[in-house]
Order: sequence, then C-alpha cells, then structure tokens
Amino acid sequence: MVVYTGVLPVKDPPMLKPVECLRANRTIDFACRPLSLHPPELVPAVARRVPARSDGGYRATKSNGATQETASQCPSELSSRAAVPYEPYMALKLMQIAPHEAEDPTELSLRQAFELLEPKLRPPFSLTIPKPQEYSLLNKAILYGVLYECHLGKTHIKHLHAIVTDGYGLFVSFLTKVVNELYVKLLEPLKCQLIWVTKELIDVLAVGVDGLLVCLLRQIVGGDFSDGNLWLCFEMVNILLTKWDCLLEVESMILTSGLYTYLRLLADHCRQLSNPKLEALKQLEIDFCIKVLKEQFPLCLKIGRDLVRLLQDLVHLPKFRAIWKDLVLNQGEFKSLGFSGIAQLYITRTPSQYMLLRITPEMEAQLRFLLTHVKLGSHKRHQAWFAKKFLCEPNRETVIVDIVRFICCAHHPPNEIIQSDVIPRWAVIGWLLKSCTKNYVEANAKLALLYDWLFFEERVDNIMNIEPAMLLMVYSIPRYIDITHTLLEFLFLLMDNYDAEHYDILVKGVSSSFSVCVKKGVIRSLDVLTSCDALSPILKERLGRFLLGTKFEISGKLIQARLPGHFERVKNSTCMETPTPSPESMR
Amino acid sequence: MVALKDIVPAAQNNIDTRFILLDKASMNTSSSQGQNKTCLALVADETAAVHFQLWGEECDAFEPGDIIHLSNGIFSYSRNSLLLRAGKRGKIEKVGEFTMAYVETPNMSEIRWVPDPNSSHKYIQEAVISPHSRIFPPKY
Repeated sequence: MVVYTGVLPVKDPPMLKPVECLRANRTIDFACRPLSLHPPELVPAVARRVPARSDGGYRATKSNGATQETASQCPSELSSRAAVPYEPYMALKLMQIAPHEAEDPTELSLRQAFELLEPKLRPPFSLTIPKPQEYSLLNKAILYGVLYECHLGKTHIKHLHAIVTDGYGLFVSFLTKVVNELYVKLLEPLKCQLIWVTKELIDVLAVGVDGLLVCLLRQIVGGDFSDGNLWLCFEMVNILLTKWDCLLEVESMILTSGLYTYLRLLADHCRQLSNPKLEALKQLEIDFCIKVLKEQFPLCLKIGRDLVRLLQDLVHLPKFRAIWKDLVLNQGEFKSLGFSGIAQLYITRTPSQYMLLRITPEMEAQLRFLLTHVKLGSHKRHQAWFAKKFLCEPNRETVIVDIVRFICCAHHPPNEIIQSDVIPRWAVIGWLLKSCTKNYVEANAKLALLYDWLFFEERVDNIMNIEPAMLLMVYSIPRYIDITHTLLEFLFLLMDNYDAEHYDILVKGVSSSFSVCVKKGVIRSLDVLTSCDALSPILKERLGRFLLGTKFEISGKLIQARLPGHFERVKNSTCMETPTPSPESMR
Repeated sequence: MVALKDIVPAAQNNIDTRFILLDKASMNTSSSQGQNKTCLALVADETAAVHFQLWGEECDAFEPGDIIHLSNGIFSYSRNSLLLRAGKRGKIEKVGEFTMAYVETPNMSEIRWVPDPNSSHKYIQEAVISPHSRIFPPKY
C-alpha cells in the first residue's frame, strides 16, 4: 500500500487541460484534476462513509493509474483493498494531513457545519428564511459541500443562489479564509472545485470576490515550476481574461493586481528556456498583460513606480519593448490618455498592497513573525527554517526581490518594536542579500531595496521605505563593509544610469533620501559614511562631492567636501551584472 | 498548558505543553526491526528548553521548526538522562510551524534534581549542570 502524502508529478501538464471538463460534466470527472491520484474522499456520497485511515492519508495502488476509485466502486470493493484497521466513521477531509498533524480549526468548523446540516443540503431545499446564526452555518455547510462533493457542485451552488441574502459576502469571506489558510494543503481535485466556484461567484458579481481573486493570485508561488503551481497560473490568467468585463464592473483594481502579478511571473517564466510546457502559459500571460496595459492604461498608472520596475525586466520581449518605447517617448496611445510621461509613474508611490501580491500568506506570516518576535542574536534558526522552506529549491531565489520590496514598503514596525531587541528590517535584508547566489537576483534585490530612494519626495513618500537601506549601509561598517560598498556603489550607478533623461529627478530623490534620514534621526549624521576609514576613498569622495553638489544640509551646516567638481560615474562597477535597461538604450 | 520552565521530573503522564522543535539528533535504533527506533531532539518554548525523545514513526514525522502540542507527556529519567516524551499514554501533534519564539537556556534536562526533603514524592532543582544542552550545543 502506498500512502499518498504529497504532490506527485504528472506527465501531462494539467494547465493544458482547462477546467471546461468541470463545467461540461459535473459527475465525477477526474480529467480536471491537477494530479493523477485521487482520494477515496471523492467517491460519491453513497460510498463516502467508507471508513478510511485515521491519519487522513489516502490510498493508491502501485500500478499506474489503475485505481480509479469512481462511482462504480461500491464501499465493499474499497474496503476489501484495505490492509489497515478502519475506524467506523470516515473523517471527511479537505486536506492532505500528514501523520501526527493536528486538524486545522478552519476545516473543522466547515466540516462540523456540513455534518450538522447535511440532510438540509439535499433537494428539495427548505423555503424558510434562516436566522442569522443558521445562515452562517448554512453558508459554511454549502461551502464544504461545494468543495468536497465535487459531483454535487451545481446542486450546492443552486442552493446557495436560493438562500443568499447578503450578496454572497459571507460565503466569499469563508472561501477567502479557505484559500488563505488551507490552499497549500488542499487536496488537488478540490483546488479545481475552488476555481470553479470562484468563477460562479464572479458571474454573480459576489461581494468581495475581488479580494478572493487577490488571495488566489497570492497562492501562485514565484519561481515554482511544479505542475500544480503552473496549473494555478493558467487558471488565474484564464479567469482574468475570460471574466474581463465582469471584473471591470466588480472592481477594476483586480486587473491591475493581475497585471502586477503576471508581469512579475513572466520575468521568472521567461528565464526558463527550453521548457515547452511553459510556452502556452507564457503566451496567455503576455496577452493578458498587454491587454491591461493597452486597454486600461489609466488604471495601470495607479500601480505607480513599481510598474516601471517590472516592465524593465520584460523589455526583451518584442510586445513589451513596443509598449516600453511608447511609454518612454510618451507617444502612441498613451499620450492621448492624459499620460504626461514616465515621470508621472516615477513620482507615484506604489500602494503597499501590490507588494503583498508576490508573497504567499504563509510567507507573509513567517516574515512578520520574524520581524516582530524574534530577537537579534537568536534569529539564525528561524532564518534557516525560512530559507529551507521558501528559498532553497531551484529557481525560488527570485522571490528575494519580492521579499525585499515587501519588507521596505509593506512591513512598517511600530516604534516599540524598532526600539526593542527584535531583529530589525535592515538585518533581515542584509541576510537576504547575502543569500543571493545569482547575480541577476542580487542586482534586482538591490534595486528593490534602493528603488524608493531614486524618486523620494518627502511630501508623498514614507521614510520607512528608505530606512532599511540607510541603516544597512551604516550598520554594515566595519564588519560587512562589502555590503556598504556594494549598496553605495549601486546607488550611484542607478542615479547615473537608471534614466539619464530624468537624471534631475533621480538626483533630487537620492539627495532628499539622505537628507530626510538625517533630519528624522534614522542616523545621526552622514559623517559615519563620509569619514569612514574602511570605506573606499573613491566612494567617499563621490559621496562627499554629491552631498556638496546638491547643497546638502546636515544639522544646519553645509558639508565641506574635500573636492569640488562635477558628478562622475562610478567606473568599472562589478556590482551590477544585469544592466538595468535605461530608457535611453531603447531609443 | 504548562511552561517548560515549570516541568518537574515525575513518574506521571500529565504534562500538557507546546514547544518548537529546534534540532534532531541522528536516529537510534535499539532493535533489529527498527520498531523501537528513537531519536533525541532539542525542543523549547519562550521560557526554557528540554530534551525530547521521539519514538517510532514520530522520528520521521517531525522536523526542526515544527510547533508541537504534547498532551499527557512524561518528564522522567531514561538510562540516566532526563527526557520529556509522549510515552505510551501521551500524544504529540504538529499544530504549526515557525511562529514561536524560544530560549535555549535554561535546559530542563541539564539540571540536577534531588528529592524534596519536605515531600518525598517531589523533586526540586539542586544545581545547573549546564546552561545549554550539552548534546545540542548552541549552534549560532
């Protein structure tokens, strides 16, 4: 007997088999499943009360796909194969639960509601209007039924349509909770159900369905090329394209969230050369992104400066190159839409909810825990666990870029934490930079860290976004002086080369960043850098000249630079292996 | 639910607690069939650390970083070393991952306990043998 506990590879990429099968045939149809194995839980209600292993593991024979435990199999057939003693009543499980793992409270609450109300979930349905308490339970029970009783999905949805009195708000909130808390461990065929019911909810313009879609987008793991993950990429981009009009009506922000997600995913997907199963998906992702950019550009402007950061990584694709050119030169369709030029994007700070899009809820919870409860000095084990889980597998490293952006822009600890002995943000970012093994990931991570420096404007920007880079530079002296070097060098490199046409904006941004960090007391004075013996003389000189040149004022007095002169570019820089495509190079 | 700093050696299966698994030693198989496989682990909560003995399939089911709920556990001597374990009547379950702070000192297994002069059934702390685990010395 083989107990199936994890995701198994399938030869046939499931993403190439859209879930149309689910809609076409609501009887048990395993063609839609992302996996080749399926749990006995999926047998219809009549066979369902077959006892199963108490540990929640489920069965598959060793022969290749020979165990289709379908409706045709009666309970006795199922149990006759069993080699382990059975419990009298089978626990109805939504999730893959390993031995010795406690049941999830969210799953438990849904299951209890289902078990309690099961007789009411069969037609003919009651016509009485439920009381609020009953309504909540009924919503939970129907949700459990939709997910669990795959073959009765349509019946349960009809029931939901009949009883709903709150615009589906409660149902969507329960479903969102399932996605956030259970998705990773959800049995694979149930993930198909999840996508199917999500589409149903879009069709009825359910309250909060936009939030549900955002949560599903967050479950797509960057740099994960497993079949299950690519299947979700496919399903989500498919939803965004096919439900376009509905989504525009519900909440147009979901399209820009989709754009942010897929621009970022495309960068990863395009680095995977010679992966034939990605081709169809990549094409869909490109089509979707181009459609949003061309048809809903005014919405895209709301993403702000990170839109430029993401687009840059894709200029090697012809379709994006054309868009980039139009953007930079402010010509073609963009001009007529009231777009005043790329600077308009630069000066718009990207709302922090976009930074959450590329971090899974589980990753977010662990990062926030690390930055709230783990003390500096006893943080190494937590860091090692985090790295093992999220960074170590091949290609996963690119998520470091998203994590750096998340820490800078979306995790702003209160003063009590900043003043405590909890590991500070700059230290975590230092560790992440040191964890990069690929040069392009490191370059992008440094760009993510310093990005807000380039456009910083005191009135609209938040000092917390630039604080980690400042502190990392300063606190890396003298032990990790290489970090100070590489960051300062990279900062000047960006300022000089990121967008030569808008050099004035960049100089102003960097200058304001330094000045605000001193003014607000992030660091006491820049002397720590300008008179640091360990810092290379060339960089010190450059910094001194820069601060003088911008009439930079610290504590009321002008810095006296040793050398007058004009700005010079840092030559022979080795810190940036992947050149940042500057708008100039596009012309 | 008891904090690890408050556990006392006793011949009773009555410890309910929650901790995070920090480290696992290599497995120790005491019978040829591997049925009595055990594995020593370092576990801790916000107040203390202790050596925990994983038994049988528990050895493979838990990994460092797992948050574990122990019910009806026992803290007692086994071949001269003081260990917390589920025992035959107790149970351990994984209830989470990562999100638990911990300390590595004191280590309750590295304390010398003596019978309480006032109450012969009880043990009291006599001395600290080592502030940290000597089997799992602080790594970082």
